[in-house]
Amino acid sequence: MVVGDIATGTDVVVIGGGPAGYTAAIRAAQFDLDVTLAETNALGGTCLNHGCIPSKALVTGANTAHEAATAEELGIHADPSVDLGEMVAWKDDVVDQLTGGVEKLCKANGVNLLEGRAEFADENTVRVIHDGEGQGSESVEFQDAIIATGSRPIEIPGFAFDGDRILSSRHALALESIPESLLVVGAGYIGMELSTVFAKLGTDVTVVEMLDDVLPTYESDVSSVVKERAQQLGIDFQFGESAQDWEEMDGGITVHTETEEGEIDEYGAEKVLVAVGRTPITDTLNLDAIDLDTDDRGFIPTDDRTRTTLDHVYAVGDVAGDPMLAHKGMKEGEVAAEVIAGEPAALDYQAIPAAVFTDPEIGTVGLTETEAKEEGFEPVVGQMPMRASGRALTLEETDGFVRVVADEPSGFLLGAQVVAPEASELIGELGLAIEMGATLEDVGATIHTHPTLSEAVMEAAENATGKAIHTLNR
Amino acid sequence: MTHEFELPDVGEGVAEGEIVNWLVETGDPVEEDQPVVEVETDKAVVEVPSPVDGTVAERRAKAGEIVPVGDVIIVFDTDGDGKATETETETEAESEAEAEPASTTDVEAEATDRVFAAPSARRLARERGVDISAVEGSDPSGRITAEDVRAHAEETRAEASDGVESAVQPADESEGDTFTPASEGADRDRTLAVPATRKLADEEGVDIDAVPTDSEHDGEPFVTAEQIEAYTERQQAAQAADTRALQTGEREERVPYKGIRRTIGQQMERSKFTAPHVTHHDEVDVTELVETRDDLKQVAKERGVSLTYMPFVMKAVVAALKDHPYLNASLDESTEEIVLKNYYNVGIAVATDAGLMVPVIDDVNRKGLLQLSSEMNELVTKAREREIAREEMQGGTFTITNFGAVGGEYATPIINHPESAILGLGEIKEKPRVIDGEIVPRKVMTLSLSIDHRIIDGAVAGSFTNTVKQYLNNPALLLL
Repeated sequence: MVVGDIATGTDVVVIGGGPAGYTAAIRAAQFDLDVTLAETNALGGTCLNHGCIPSKALVTGANTAHEAATAEELGIHADPSVDLGEMVAWKDDVVDQLTGGVEKLCKANGVNLLEGRAEFADENTVRVIHDGEGQGSESVEFQDAIIATGSRPIEIPGFAFDGDRILSSRHALALESIPESLLVVGAGYIGMELSTVFAKLGTDVTVVEMLDDVLPTYESDVSSVVKERAQQLGIDFQFGESAQDWEEMDGGITVHTETEEGEIDEYGAEKVLVAVGRTPITDTLNLDAIDLDTDDRGFIPTDDRTRTTLDHVYAVGDVAGDPMLAHKGMKEGEVAAEVIAGEPAALDYQAIPAAVFTDPEIGTVGLTETEAKEEGFEPVVGQMPMRASGRALTLEETDGFVRVVADEPSGFLLGAQVVAPEASELIGELGLAIEMGATLEDVGATIHTHPTLSEAVMEAAENATGKAIHTLNR
Repeated sequence: MTHEFELPDVGEGVAEGEIVNWLVETGDPVEEDQPVVEVETDKAVVEVPSPVDGTVAERRAKAGEIVPVGDVIIVFDTDGDGKATETETETEAESEAEAEPASTTDVEAEATDRVFAAPSARRLARERGVDISAVEGSDPSGRITAEDVRAHAEETRAEASDGVESAVQPADESEGDTFTPASEGADRDRTLAVPATRKLADEEGVDIDAVPTDSEHDGEPFVTAEQIEAYTERQQAAQAADTRALQTGEREERVPYKGIRRTIGQQMERSKFTAPHVTHHDEVDVTELVETRDDLKQVAKERGVSLTYMPFVMKAVVAALKDHPYLNASLDESTEEIVLKNYYNVGIAVATDAGLMVPVIDDVNRKGLLQLSSEMNELVTKAREREIAREEMQGGTFTITNFGAVGGEYATPIINHPESAILGLGEIKEKPRVIDGEIVPRKVMTLSLSIDHRIIDGAVAGSFTNTVKQYLNNPALLLL
């Protein structure tokens, strides 16, 4: 505490106003707790400002442009011209609407909002340091603290983000004009989503990936659908190479890469997007002041009630560990608030769904067949190819499949992998099925609307039990 | 060939049993009818015999585990070669076809800890302090519904036991183990480190191959001095925690509330919170009864029967019950009728090592003192040795509890629901009594009668007790 600084008191201080943090703050306030939320930048965090929402806005824009340009078969002849600046301005409107909404909700629920970077001063005090020269700081005494500081993109050596030539995902989502060529380092989900966006907007995209495939966390038959479509869009993949350094050359830049065998290659591009992952933000918190350790990957270890090793300090969202997904963070935020309020809350979900907004989309939830085996189940799978879906044909999007994984003796759904148009939506039903303890029979016997993509879920479940009508049974 | 043996229905309507003790190990030869496992149901411990000759190929349940009837608990190898070429399944409940293949639940139990239940049911379980993995799913597929959680909570009213149990466990595990980097030890064969780091590891007594690291040099794991320090600190903290846990273990012990104890508890709770209890206390001069019993004891002994006071009390009670039928009754809450019983089955509460049991002697009104004595002695012995069958503890109309056996004059017995009354007997003591103006020593027994005040009023209780007293005071009346 600074001399003369009178601390304000609060029941709960929430550090970070992203999805995990604002959810925690609002829920805690709903329990009549006095809540103070400190956010350094903008409410909504990475998700609303620099991640999920802006990227999905641009995915929509790019898809619209691409579909219009490639609809000759449908008798539509168009040659769309894209103004990225306008698209980004529209995207900013969407973001503003959402962040404004979060602010209104916080205020309506009585959450005290503080702008500034919060760091721990001692076990029951944080200092909130306001941005800007002479803006000062203030102390907040709390009973419980919820850390929700999120994550930031990882930089790789030699490629410091400058927002001009070397872009993070955040920079890429704020470009004013479409780059002619883009070199993307990393073929994980962020790299693949943005590669697809820019390829559809007409950018010449090259992806350099150290491993030998795209989307390494997904099964190969899932990722291969996405890779093949990306290649059809003209994306060039260079696997087994890591980016080493870059230099300015002829109005653009040249990036040098190296294979494991030491072979050097070089690629010219207007800009480089580095998308090799994200790392939790804990270095701004002064965790030493409360004697809280992070693990070797920088995450703050928590239990199933989101409690850290300190009884009154909680961690939620990206900073609390993988998977770094907004929806996981929101659930953790709710649980943290409820636990503080004395409710019997805990993280006891069976599965966290995940979506990748590539073309086609990927939606997954729960266990793969291999994982189910490893957990001791006797898995059975059922699959429905999208080419057998009437709705997929009418969308001209027949790549991919819906696959369900279940425990054969009991029929309980354990997981699903969907690579299909609207997979991000389709996966919701399967997540519900898993949480509800639904069986293949339950899903198969549920009437699904025709003609929709969701019929494929029903068909996959029927396929697993040898009762499919529209596919050959296994 | 293997033979899968399912937990049979070891008693009337028993749905599950706890594996108390395995009597055979894997690989042991067994003969048909040889007891292989002790199973505790909610009332008794039963030895389950092997249905075949063979060897034990696999035990599918652990001691302490609750197993539903119909689950395979043990697999026998019946031709001794150990190869499972064919499998036959034993189903004891022959006439009742099992709707569900037994393997369904087996696979779940073995496969994973996952519990299939909707989020709302999970939340309810947390709210009620129920460990959802202990709840039996009623859904045909085994899924646990909110209703199952509620029913389980009602049954157990278990308290959430965070912390203490888990703290005790590591203490047990750490016994005899001085330093085990169990959960976080890396256990590599080879580790690179600079000489100073190795020296530090030696000083700290740390096995450098056990120190976790993500760093590599030339493809080999590489450990730094900082990692050694962090590891040492964690180990020290873990040891301190173990010590604390040990101390906790000495100060407190947690005993699972289950089996017979839980059944007794539930029964008591239901009775106490259903029937408004009123207890009527009195005392009776039983000097003559003591003399009569002394006289008859020898005769009984010659006929091989040990005669106690209890048969006299039973006869006195039955005689009083005939005069006061509402004490030999139960209240049927569902139909709002008082069921008066014209038969007299008297339960005798017996303290056993496992807890309270109530064997029932049927038709007391039709039996003589000796027959009552021998039947009672047999049932009490069976109850103490936990060999009593459920049906031998059912169908009672009135219960007598003899708390005097352990000393004490008065108590408040809890009615054996759904009966309407229970009589507690105190110790027979020699006490001064005034007879014809003189103080004389007399044998006096105290009586505590609890009644269900919904259907019996205090006056009736007093009147009943007076009748009992009359018979005990003058046992010759029992001859009429």
